[in-house]
Amino acid sequence: MLNRRTFSSSLSAALLAGTGLDAVQAQSTAVATVGQAAPEFSATDTAGKSHKLSDFKGKLVVLEWTNPGCPFVRKHYSGDASGNMQSLQKEFTGRGVVWLAINSTETSSMDYLAPAKLAGWMGEKQARLTATLMDESGKIGQLYGAKTTPHMYIVNPQGVLVYAGGIDSVASARFDDIKTATNYVRQGLNEALGGKGISVATSRAYGCSVKYKT
Amino acid sequence: MNFKRFLTAPLFTALFAIFLIAVGATFTGARAQNTSLNVLGTSGSEKTAKGPVVTTDQVRAELLAWAPDGVGPGKQVWLGLQLAHQPEWHTYWKNSGDSGLPTMLEWQLPAGATAGEIAWPTPKKIPIGTLANYGYENTVLLPVPVTVAQNFSGTQLDVKLKAAWLVCRKECIPQEGDFSLSIPVKSSTAISSQLFQATFDATPKQLGAGSSQVEVGDAKGKAIKVSLSGLPAALQGKTLAFFPETGSVIEPAAAWQQAWQGAVWTAQVPLSGQRTESPTVMPVVVALDGDASGRAYRIEAPVKGEWPKVAAAAILPPALEAALKANASSGAAPLQTSAPPLGLWAALFGALLGGLILNLMPCVFPVLAIKVVSFVHVKDQTTRVTTGLAYTAGVVLSFLALGALLLGLRAAGEQLGWGFQLQSPAVVAALALLFTLMGLNLAGLFEFGSFLPSRVANLQAKNPAIDSFLSGVLATAIASPCTAPFMGASLGYALGLPAAQALAVFGAIGVGMALPYLAASVVPAVARALPRPGAWMVTFKQLMAFPMFATVVWLVWVLGQQSGIDGAGALLSLLVLMALTIWALTLKGRTRTVMVAFSIAISAAALWAIGPNITKQQDTGVSASQVANGLPAWEVWEPGRVDQLNAQGQSVFVDFTAAWCVTCQYNKKTTLSNAAVLADIEAKKVALLRADWTRRDPAVTAALGQLGRSGVPVYVIYKPGRAPVVLSEILSVDDVRAELAKL
Repeated sequence: MLNRRTFSSSLSAALLAGTGLDAVQAQSTAVATVGQAAPEFSATDTAGKSHKLSDFKGKLVVLEWTNPGCPFVRKHYSGDASGNMQSLQKEFTGRGVVWLAINSTETSSMDYLAPAKLAGWMGEKQARLTATLMDESGKIGQLYGAKTTPHMYIVNPQGVLVYAGGIDSVASARFDDIKTATNYVRQGLNEALGGKGISVATSRAYGCSVKYKT
Repeated sequence: MNFKRFLTAPLFTALFAIFLIAVGATFTGARAQNTSLNVLGTSGSEKTAKGPVVTTDQVRAELLAWAPDGVGPGKQVWLGLQLAHQPEWHTYWKNSGDSGLPTMLEWQLPAGATAGEIAWPTPKKIPIGTLANYGYENTVLLPVPVTVAQNFSGTQLDVKLKAAWLVCRKECIPQEGDFSLSIPVKSSTAISSQLFQATFDATPKQLGAGSSQVEVGDAKGKAIKVSLSGLPAALQGKTLAFFPETGSVIEPAAAWQQAWQGAVWTAQVPLSGQRTESPTVMPVVVALDGDASGRAYRIEAPVKGEWPKVAAAAILPPALEAALKANASSGAAPLQTSAPPLGLWAALFGALLGGLILNLMPCVFPVLAIKVVSFVHVKDQTTRVTTGLAYTAGVVLSFLALGALLLGLRAAGEQLGWGFQLQSPAVVAALALLFTLMGLNLAGLFEFGSFLPSRVANLQAKNPAIDSFLSGVLATAIASPCTAPFMGASLGYALGLPAAQALAVFGAIGVGMALPYLAASVVPAVARALPRPGAWMVTFKQLMAFPMFATVVWLVWVLGQQSGIDGAGALLSLLVLMALTIWALTLKGRTRTVMVAFSIAISAAALWAIGPNITKQQDTGVSASQVANGLPAWEVWEPGRVDQLNAQGQSVFVDFTAAWCVTCQYNKKTTLSNAAVLADIEAKKVALLRADWTRRDPAVTAALGQLGRSGVPVYVIYKPGRAPVVLSEILSVDDVRAELAKL
């Protein structure tokens, strides 16, 4: 039983100090930082399947904070498959990039969508996502310091956070601004896929506040 | 002669089972998902109307003008958009804070008239859950000065405005409005003068910078220190509200401190973890807290100090990649295949090769020797092939089991590296007991068969395949601490792979390790090359006891590093008592009964009395003692220390090591103690850091992970402004000197 006690205690110590989800409570101030390891998380998708960030190690991963009730999200999801976000998703998931949409909207918010409804909306918008993750507790959002919807992150194949910020350079809710804006996510993914460093690694995320549980 | 029969294999299996239970106990249940139903909120849509007023469900917006002396060159002309919010709704200031957007005004004015920037009134901090915004509630007027050129001619000023604002409660609605207004040039437009006047009163007054400043780059880089001088006496000693005009610099919702130092107001404001701006001047607004009507001041404070790098990465991924590529191309280290984008095939090949080399490692060699001995017993081709296959199956399955275990731990969110077994004192002690038992057996103190039921012994004798299978399992168990130096890259890679591929890598290690035996069992030529059986085997068997005891010495030393001299002493006592008990068991008649009872009693008493010493955590780190006994001043590695030293322009050599890692100790005693190497280090003023992984240290595990490794040793040279260089695990003097010469 010596074995058991020692392992249990050291395991829990490692969990507290490590990057497990339990670490969120222990280190609520340690927010994801560009250039550092992207914090590990696990979440259930709209179909009830569990995913972990580390499942996708070895691949570029995009994290997209979303909330269909937010006009800024709708700006980028306007139309069907031709929408800005959908075409980005299609282009890069086609090139092996993992794309996770995360909804940190709390259940009592007017914007909250139950998993089936959220999946329905994504389906209607013809989103090309690896998974749509539910984060009603807001833990993952807080862990990544996600403030707005949309708020975009790129994690490189080694699990390092290489981009955090807005989807593009023009902070507005106007659809027409998309074509004149520099899309930092497209730029970053192209650079990463080309083996280059990401030239714009952070930008100001703009949009609605994430509707966190308080 | 039953020495080849490792009845300790079931013992290991039991140990393994206990380990699995311990791991299983730490798994937590699946998180329950909250799935209450809610309907997507639909709110009012934007409305547009021609004229000076646009009304939506949330805002009444009106274009106002103030030209008390008419419109003409040099005349005071102001335009403004008044936003009257419904209760709970708000629009935003020029820095909207965590979310939101500032209101935007696009003017269309006749030639000769030019609109300036919005003179933003003092905002209010609006907290939203864990976030915060800066904006306006109730009614606000956003005034804009208009410059009229000398040559302006016209009877009226036709103003067109396209305004866009984001109005939010918890939900947000972007709205736009087109406004138009005509201002007579000759007569006065003063109907809104009170409104404008009140707004100007509520707009921050500009103050000179004086000795005001924003200090950045404190040691942790986590906060800025704002000091503002020249604030009016009315404010002094009072609590102030603070609004930076530059967005994405501070954390608007975070707790901050303020204090008055005489007439100077100071504040410590936390920096945003994802700061995007690095301004040289920060215009900031301070206002009397809770006093919206006025008493607000704006100061453009110069920034002192260096902003912490936005992507202040310990290891920049592209740089690391370049470093690893450079290493690979230099050809200096053939085993340097740790580049993250290692192909699966390369990883499998590396694993196979690593497994093969494992056979030559000191901790596997005794088993290898025993297998050689067992092999030459078998003359029948079929039996030999069966034995070879069974051994292979044992090895491969054990590696797969270890791989599965590793994946299970990974799933539990555990940061884990290879060789982890030896990070637990209890496991070290158990292994020491196991190896002592094997050593005593090899030395001839006892035969395993003599104290096991003959039925089991017979079963084994009749089933050489099972016997070989168990030997394979044991070989794997012993091999695990030796894998790090040879398979760091493969294992690090495997840890980041999907489960199936990771298991394939583990399987490949097993195949590699079993390959020589398999080959020998299938191809008689290989088998014939093996030594013939003879009397030398008894001698050889006894000789093999010494590597076993040597391993025990090493394990006791490892335990000493972990649990201190008391722990090591307790372990040694228990080893002696175990030997006594085993010897007692080999006796005959009454003497046996008495001696067995006595030795078991004393063992139990000792286990109870001093056993806990073995697992007792030693408070002082291992590193401290290691620092003292080496000539060069090795400093204890800490997260961020490399960056600090690099920032001071110093190159850094980091030794990722562990007491239980033989390769690490060898490198430490040879290359890292080499006079020429030390002289070079001295000459180049390279800082030496030692990261100790003897006990599982999550920070070290994380740092290893960033280097793409899951085991030690790892040697890295960090030079400021250059990608870190990872050296070969089998550290040669020439390699190190060559790398040092490049600094």
